[in-house]
Amino acid sequence: MDRKRDYYEDVEPLKTRAQRFWFAALLGALAAYPFLLPNYWVYLANYTAIHVLVAVGLNLLVGYTGQISLGHAGFFAAGAYGTTLLMAKGGLPFALALPLAAALAALLGAALAVPALRLEGPYLSIATLAFGLTVTQVIGRVGWFGGRQGLHTPELWLGPWNVATDRDFYLLLVPLTVALVFAARGITRTRVGRAFVAIRDSDVAAETLGVNLVRFKTLAFALSAFYTGLAGGLYAFVLRFIEPEMFGLMMSILFLAMVVVGGLGALPGSVAGACLLSWLDLELRNILAVPYLGAWLEGLSKTWFSITGVSNISFIVYGSILVAIMLFEPLGLYGIWLRTKRYWRAWPF
Amino acid sequence: MSMAMARWWAVGLAALVLAGPAGAEEGVTDTEIRIGQWGPQTGPAAPWGAVARGAGVLFQLINDEGGIHGRKIRYQMFDDGYNPAKTKAGVKELQEGPGGIFAWVSGVGTAPGLAVRDYLRERKVPWVGPASGSHHWVSPPEKNLFALYPLYRYEAAALVRYLVGTGGKKRVAIAYLNDDYGKDGVAGAAAELARHGLKLVAEVPVEKGDSDLKPHVLQLKKAEPDAVLLWVTPTHAVGLVGTGKAMGLAPQWASTSSCSDLVLMHKISKGLWEGVIVANFTELPDADTPLMKKYRAAFEKYAAKDERWGVFFYAGMGFAEPLVEGLRRAGRNLTRQALVAELEKLRDFKGVLGRVSYQPFDPTDPLSRQGQREVFLTRCLADGKAERLTDWLTVE
Amino acid sequence: MIADLWQAVASGVMAGSTYALMALGLVLVYKTSEVVNFAQGEIALAATFVAYLGLEHHGVPWWAALPGALAFAALLGAAVEFGVLRRAKDPSVLGTIIITIGLEMVFLGLVSWKFGADPKTLPFPLPPYDGVSLAGAYVSSLELLTAAAAVGLMLALYLVLAHSRLGLAIRATQQNRDAARLMGVRTRRVLMATWALASAVGALGGLLIAPVTMHPYMMWDPLLKGFAAAVLGGLTSLPGAVAGAYLLGVTENLFGAFVSLEFKSVVAFAAIVAVLCVRPSGLFARHHVKKV
Repeated sequence: MDRKRDYYEDVEPLKTRAQRFWFAALLGALAAYPFLLPNYWVYLANYTAIHVLVAVGLNLLVGYTGQISLGHAGFFAAGAYGTTLLMAKGGLPFALALPLAAALAALLGAALAVPALRLEGPYLSIATLAFGLTVTQVIGRVGWFGGRQGLHTPELWLGPWNVATDRDFYLLLVPLTVALVFAARGITRTRVGRAFVAIRDSDVAAETLGVNLVRFKTLAFALSAFYTGLAGGLYAFVLRFIEPEMFGLMMSILFLAMVVVGGLGALPGSVAGACLLSWLDLELRNILAVPYLGAWLEGLSKTWFSITGVSNISFIVYGSILVAIMLFEPLGLYGIWLRTKRYWRAWPF
Repeated sequence: MSMAMARWWAVGLAALVLAGPAGAEEGVTDTEIRIGQWGPQTGPAAPWGAVARGAGVLFQLINDEGGIHGRKIRYQMFDDGYNPAKTKAGVKELQEGPGGIFAWVSGVGTAPGLAVRDYLRERKVPWVGPASGSHHWVSPPEKNLFALYPLYRYEAAALVRYLVGTGGKKRVAIAYLNDDYGKDGVAGAAAELARHGLKLVAEVPVEKGDSDLKPHVLQLKKAEPDAVLLWVTPTHAVGLVGTGKAMGLAPQWASTSSCSDLVLMHKISKGLWEGVIVANFTELPDADTPLMKKYRAAFEKYAAKDERWGVFFYAGMGFAEPLVEGLRRAGRNLTRQALVAELEKLRDFKGVLGRVSYQPFDPTDPLSRQGQREVFLTRCLADGKAERLTDWLTVE
Repeated sequence: MIADLWQAVASGVMAGSTYALMALGLVLVYKTSEVVNFAQGEIALAATFVAYLGLEHHGVPWWAALPGALAFAALLGAAVEFGVLRRAKDPSVLGTIIITIGLEMVFLGLVSWKFGADPKTLPFPLPPYDGVSLAGAYVSSLELLTAAAAVGLMLALYLVLAHSRLGLAIRATQQNRDAARLMGVRTRRVLMATWALASAVGALGGLLIAPVTMHPYMMWDPLLKGFAAAVLGGLTSLPGAVAGAYLLGVTENLFGAFVSLEFKSVVAFAAIVAVLCVRPSGLFARHHVKKV
């Protein structure tokens, strides 16, 4: 590795030729994906891309700045409802409504940063959890937000382009996701990112070094909420229907789990974690169809448990993954990747 | 990815080859008809998931009797955990996967159903008998969506009519779950009371998470009702009756079909459910009709040993009956168009639910797609059995 | 009006007792091991369903089944500490939260798998709704029992912590684990004992809820309210947690009675965000200032 001459080289996304090659290959694969695979897989990709956005945004807060949040479903809901209502009731076009709703989420994030400035880990986790629950419950009880019955999203037009099918939406969503992931990567390597990490490692030390805690903690919350709000606004159009119960505690837990499983403080890890867990989230329901494993589980159900409750195995699998990751590889998938790389680099010695 | 891609190409090719004669309908082959359903097997709504398992037993019964016009039913049920995102994913996966789905049956819950309604409409896939009494299925009505479950509003109206008309009650109150289901109940009760020149004397919202029901009972008590409708979950209904009894509120309690599983209600209330009037949309669990006997035998034979012969289990069989009848009438040359045409001809079709009728599609007439319009009322007896109070009542 | 006020306060105190039982367990664990235990609710759930299994299906008498369930909870809690948390390498606050959330899902899955989703009620020696009138306000005898249990346990735990050898060991472990170890305290055993104790306290809460509400998700709301109460009182103070629980219960019920029943359940969560803005370590705990 050659010496770096100034800070901007840190930010530069693709340094080596190999990196550029693999990035081009990835872009090519992503571009070909919706044209080669069946529509369901495109839907799955959209669902995953949304979670990638959330995981990256949440990692900026949890992994880089060291602030816990169990309330990101609240920001997600703000983005989803904000976008839908700004379009349906405010008559704004999508291209305006989405960033506005995300900005609204960011504002909420900045507001939540006020208590967060003084809170220690466990208190912060409960405060954010309470925030998330409050948002969901308020939305569900106010008729103007569509109440419990939820809202259907309006048609999506970008200028003359009617984004109607899953493939159309993929073509909108995935480039945006790639760009935002790279933007996040850029942020982590600037002064701002270094300030985040300094706060995480020791806020007192960071303050002594001249990092303005108020400004950077608020910024971390707002930025993270912005990403999540953006993802929420887009999610409304993946589903084309939103209702308050979706944005519950389970969703916040899923978000946090993606970041942790992927690896704290590692953006590629967040992408991987989001991909793995959103896939599991949708596909674990088919676990009984897996050869051998399915039959074994059925036998187990008959002898010890119940057949009618057998689908709950998905909870057990999910929970076990979380526990196992924390016990065996606290750096998550990213840690596993690092170890594998190191192992093969020195192989066979 | 290349492996997956290659597989999908192979599947695509195979599908082209298998599709065979031109014009064969999606989800139908020479030997099978593919029917789909979603129902929560996990999460807080899982008790209603019995509907989806019940339908499975009916299809097994039909297959063992030789199927429908030489075709077996291939039933694809999945767990969505009552999460609309998962409902949509599952519906898409099955609908667009190899083989496709010919028609969807029931599907538990209002929110999951609303999340896929537009998708199924765009693809013109028939969907028969959503398992919830929400008014959304018929307002506005849709060509390929056949609602079945009597609207919660009908149930409310029937109960009010009985309480006011036969029971001579004047002060009717309601405790309702603060969601769509509860609010439908409030609307139905208020409308029927207005026809008698009365008003609800209290409307008390109950939240899903509420476990202490004293405040609700207190609010009800202030209105001095002589009858209270319970438009809540079974656990809340039992809590309200129990707390009410202890706090000196003893009106005539009346509740919806969601709490009509009297065996269960009697058991979890430790007997307090005695005397409560409920609306029923299915035959009683111990009914002696030939069809119910046959279904009970099928339950013994096919259902898992930990399954319970509950109302919502055999209601799941009932929700699938009109679809089966439509498939039978549509004959060997099965198309979606033929199915829809035959369903529209159903008049007073009687299975284990009430009578089911549809009309030719009329976008201005919700009733053209609302199959069942009748319920009957029972009172819970001391041993958890039901005393029939009325015959089937049709509510206009 | 006065009668309403009195009833709301009484209802609030009774509701608060359930929160207090959950909060006591949470505080006990947090005090000694600095773990925010999201699994506590489901440990209690598992214990409650074990009691149900005994009472309903195997004819075990209640005087054996209920203590048996508490013992089961204690064992499960100890097993969780010994088998899982102790194995974590240098866990952060976030790490332990994720572990307990993971365990929460595992236990929830196991209970739902075994018992299905149909609602149930626990056969219990006290009829769940029979009640008494306290100067005109109705409370059920089950709730009175809960209140007595909450206050009694708080006092007992307080005395144990302040005056017994175990209490001394617990406090020593909490203040400085390494120093305590050097002084001959078997800190690991202390941790395991605390987990067992806290799980049993939580399970008592579960057993007292189950005669009225019993299904796999029955502990979510009590646990969240328990968290709210514990945080309100300060996560490190047992009397604080109980006071927080009662404050929460009464506030909720006054709000429900005089402002809006519909928004009653939002109050608890909005309140903790608000309180934490002003008092970052809760109402009754001293704010812990980090030394560098």
